[in-house]
Amino acid sequence: MLAYAGGDLLAFETLYRRHRGTLYRFLLRSLRHRADADELFQETWSRLIAARERYRPDAKFTTWLLQIAHNLVVDRFRRQRPQASPEETETVLRNLDAPDSEQPERALSEFEQRRRLQLALEELPEEQRVAFLLRVEGGLGLEEIGEITGAGRETVKSRLRYALARIRARFDP
Amino acid sequence: MSLPRDPDHDLDRLLADDGGDLAALYRRLPKAEPPRRLDRSVIGAAARAVHGHTPRRQRWLVGVGSAAGVVLAAGIAWHVGQDAVRRESQGDMSAQGVPTTPSHNRNYVPVQPLGEPTPRHTAAPPAAQDAAVVAPATAPAPPPPAAAKPAPRKAEAHEKERARAPIAQPSAPPPAAAPPAAAPMPAREAFPAEQQRQEAEAAGASQAGGADAAGVISNERTDAKSLRMRAAPAPPSSSVELRRDMQLAPDDWLAHVRQLLRQGRRQQAIESLRLFHSAHPRYPLPRELSALLD
Repeated sequence: MLAYAGGDLLAFETLYRRHRGTLYRFLLRSLRHRADADELFQETWSRLIAARERYRPDAKFTTWLLQIAHNLVVDRFRRQRPQASPEETETVLRNLDAPDSEQPERALSEFEQRRRLQLALEELPEEQRVAFLLRVEGGLGLEEIGEITGAGRETVKSRLRYALARIRARFDP
Repeated sequence: MSLPRDPDHDLDRLLADDGGDLAALYRRLPKAEPPRRLDRSVIGAAARAVHGHTPRRQRWLVGVGSAAGVVLAAGIAWHVGQDAVRRESQGDMSAQGVPTTPSHNRNYVPVQPLGEPTPRHTAAPPAAQDAAVVAPATAPAPPPPAAAKPAPRKAEAHEKERARAPIAQPSAPPPAAAPPAAAPMPAREAFPAEQQRQEAEAAGASQAGGADAAGVISNERTDAKSLRMRAAPAPPSSSVELRRDMQLAPDDWLAHVRQLLRQGRRQQAIESLRLFHSAHPRYPLPRELSALLD
């Protein structure tokens, strides 16, 4: 990022290729609408580009990137209440591409598991879903999640714990 | 897939390096990727942001450079034009034996002295004709390079003869000799400062061109070159007025010289009279005026 701030566009492209998937999936699973995810994906990078000269390497780039995205997601949540219905969520999830090379029986099983996980994620409260996504998609620790969401370590732990319990409930009704 | 129901255990596994079975399941979810149009858009925005600074600076530099180039070109053109006018003026002056000063006031078209033959430049080559548009009609039609050469021999001899005569007095009469305060100031005296400025610019241009402005300043030099230079008098106090005088009929011109004398502007009267005598060498001068030329 420092190299890009100094004018090295190639450095930005490398950075972008490395983090584009993580950011996009975080946005898509947080917002559940591709159009919104697309819009905030661009907006996140635009803000990052605009703030490139203020970047300080004392924070992980992923943390910084996801913090920008999270702020945008929170703003979007505030504007978009009420949220999409479970039927809409189901439709969106069905539109997501599934991996090709899977055996039919196993694919059915895998598909069911993924579907349940996706439904469980959709049903999570926003704060719990964001915390879970930051952990599993962003690979962030408790402190980093707390830094992004503005919550304390124990609060983050609590949100994750509740999120896991809800997900488990989807698998073991 | 059997998943344990202990939330604390799940949390510990989730926070482990591999993220546990739930993280593994999550990683098997479809790997949604941003569409290529978003890639292009973001990379383009990043490129514009990076290159946005430099081209702005370059545009600024280009603008300044262009302006500087225009100013430089205009300055060179102005100097070249001044030099051409000065040389043409000098050639005309040498041909006529008329001392005059370079003037960049092109509003005044030099008049042909009375009694001179009609213009001979009709047979001149186009380039000379072009030069003749600026130069007086009486100037010989030389080939283009000759326009910058010294005057013909006859005119040069005339200049030398004139150079032996006392030339313009080195100093103008003191202000006390100026017309009385009660006398109405002529309209052309209303802009002496502008005239002086123009003369100073003309002198500066001549110096820049390495021309005969030095002869104007150093009247003490007696070699042939300086004599020729001295034939061109020091820049009169009102070269524009002298130009105007040249447009007068001979009688009116002499009347104007007398008027200058009456106004106490003796120096200018002498200069105007000399110019008159050069323009009309065969015109009989009254005694009181011819005495001024001695």
